[in-house]
Amino acid sequence: MLRLACVFALCAALSLAEAAGARAPAAATIRGRVNIPNPLSAALPRPGIADLGRDTNYQPAAPRRAVVYLETAPQPAFEEGVAGRATMKQEHETFVPHVLAIRAGTVVDFPNGDPFFHNVFSLSKPQPFDLGRYAKGRSKSVQFDEPGIVRVFCEIHSHMSAFILVFSHRFFAVTDDDGRYRIERVPAGTYTLTAWYEAVAQQSRPVTVPEQGGAVDVDFTLRDR
Amino acid sequence: MTFRTPSPRNTAARAGAVHARRTFALAAALALCGARMSAQAPVTVADGHLTLSGQASISVGSNDEGYFNYSSYQYSLLRLLRLDGTADLRVNDHLSVLGDLQALASVDHGNWLLRPYALFARIRPWADRPVDIQAGLVPPVFGVFSRRAYGANDPLVGYPLAYQYLTSLRGNALPATVSDLLAMRGRGWLTRYPIGDTRPQAGLPVVDGLRYQSGVELHVGSLQPFEAAASWTSGALSAPSREGGNAGQQFSGRFALRPAPGLILGVSGSRGTFLSSSLRDSAAVSDVGDQRAIGFDAEYSRGHYLVRSEGVYSNSRIPLAVPATRLALAAFGIDVEGRYRITPRLYAAARVDRLQFNDVAGPDGPTSWEYPVTRLQVGGGYLVARHTLVKVEWQRNQRDVTASDVYGGGAYGSQAASASYNKANLFSAQLVVWF
Repeated sequence: MLRLACVFALCAALSLAEAAGARAPAAATIRGRVNIPNPLSAALPRPGIADLGRDTNYQPAAPRRAVVYLETAPQPAFEEGVAGRATMKQEHETFVPHVLAIRAGTVVDFPNGDPFFHNVFSLSKPQPFDLGRYAKGRSKSVQFDEPGIVRVFCEIHSHMSAFILVFSHRFFAVTDDDGRYRIERVPAGTYTLTAWYEAVAQQSRPVTVPEQGGAVDVDFTLRDR
Repeated sequence: MTFRTPSPRNTAARAGAVHARRTFALAAALALCGARMSAQAPVTVADGHLTLSGQASISVGSNDEGYFNYSSYQYSLLRLLRLDGTADLRVNDHLSVLGDLQALASVDHGNWLLRPYALFARIRPWADRPVDIQAGLVPPVFGVFSRRAYGANDPLVGYPLAYQYLTSLRGNALPATVSDLLAMRGRGWLTRYPIGDTRPQAGLPVVDGLRYQSGVELHVGSLQPFEAAASWTSGALSAPSREGGNAGQQFSGRFALRPAPGLILGVSGSRGTFLSSSLRDSAAVSDVGDQRAIGFDAEYSRGHYLVRSEGVYSNSRIPLAVPATRLALAAFGIDVEGRYRITPRLYAAARVDRLQFNDVAGPDGPTSWEYPVTRLQVGGGYLVARHTLVKVEWQRNQRDVTASDVYGGGAYGSQAASASYNKANLFSAQLVVWF
């Protein structure tokens, strides 16, 4: 009798657990492609009329990456996870990567890979900073606590610039070389999905992630504002 | 701080005030436009082959009764509106053409000056080697300040004395005697001599930091541990153009080392002709009219601070009529400046400066051919936006002169001996916008 009661209790517990698991909605992936028909040209230095020669170190690269993110996120998203560390290098008089997307609280390292000084700074409200001049092989860091867009420059090389987008949640992605993006483990719900490019183009779409999870495809075509 | 009424030399004071208000309005409009544009990179067209940029600056300051900051008879660097439009046309990996068209106007009166500030071809024989040849109206090779005086590269409003202060030396006029020369001390903004062009005109600075020169130059190694440059151009350091009949030529060079991160050490040399051809040809003595100069420059930067120093020793030889002899006029200028970035937007800067002259045999014995000048500049800058900078500066200038040192009488003599003429505390502010 006692054995039979234990079996019944075990079965009841298993049934309850299965029922609970069945009620939790499956997370989905939002993916797609951002098309940029008219990408910006690479930033070129100002005409060097005071220079005695041409700068040979600069390797201009046209910005191609966009950032896709949820305008709003489920409440738990703001409380989960721990911000880590990221890197934005200075190489050939450019910031690499040109666009960096991070969570609030992330520490970004700025190593200098060029054989001369750089002076990384920003005037942006979320995180103004000035790292001063430092040489090749050295690195300085900044912790970004406030969400927002941070524009990064070099005080010595005026053609150098980059963006750091700081989010208070984890639902964002930077596109790859083909313009593709993936945002993983998005809970079911209806959101506003935004694609952003170089502060010159932006587009928003409503997106619904179903209860059963899976993948949701959303493509963007960004043109200048 | 008050700004005095326009200079007493401007007889149309009311017209000058109207012009000043229009100039300020124009400058404010430019600043607003520039602030909107300042977030943008330079404009590139023609598939990146043509890059266009621009800069506007307006300086306003105290009335400079001692003419310490004048770069010519009309223009004070503390009361100047300057507009520059620059272009870089990249024909291919070996050839570019660069130019800068400049417009200058005094805040006090409406005399606009439009001129090509730079126009030269840059040739790179080997695309992957840092060897460049530049030909045309080219930046000077000597020293450093002339090339970084452009816009926001200078942390202060006023210039170092050696690159701007007008001495009593002229390229198109000569004193007949030593007394003629000594009577013009401290009056470099408007000198008059009996030989050559006898009209009153401004004298020459030790190095003209506001003009480029015509010729050709070679530069090697922009990022290496060393770099070297040499040029063959017109005129001389103090008189780089062919104005006033100067058909002379100048050879200049600079060698710089980068022995450690943040440290640059350079030495420069120059020999050129500042005197007009007619005055040289008519002189009773030979081997005159040339300017020889040597200079050093040093820069050290680390973290948030930057320290620079530059020195120039110049020797210019002129003929005298009575007695018929050769007179060597030497000048030595040295300055030390520092800048410290307090916040991402705010910096403080200062410069100490001294310009000294050698003695000549005057009527009362050895006498400095020009009054030594000392300048102290203290100021700072604030980045309103990425490409919009406001600078403010207090400047203390002093000529070492007493009443007994003044030669010549009349109104100029009285002025030259006055304390207000020879000591000046000047305040100035400058707005610079660029894209």
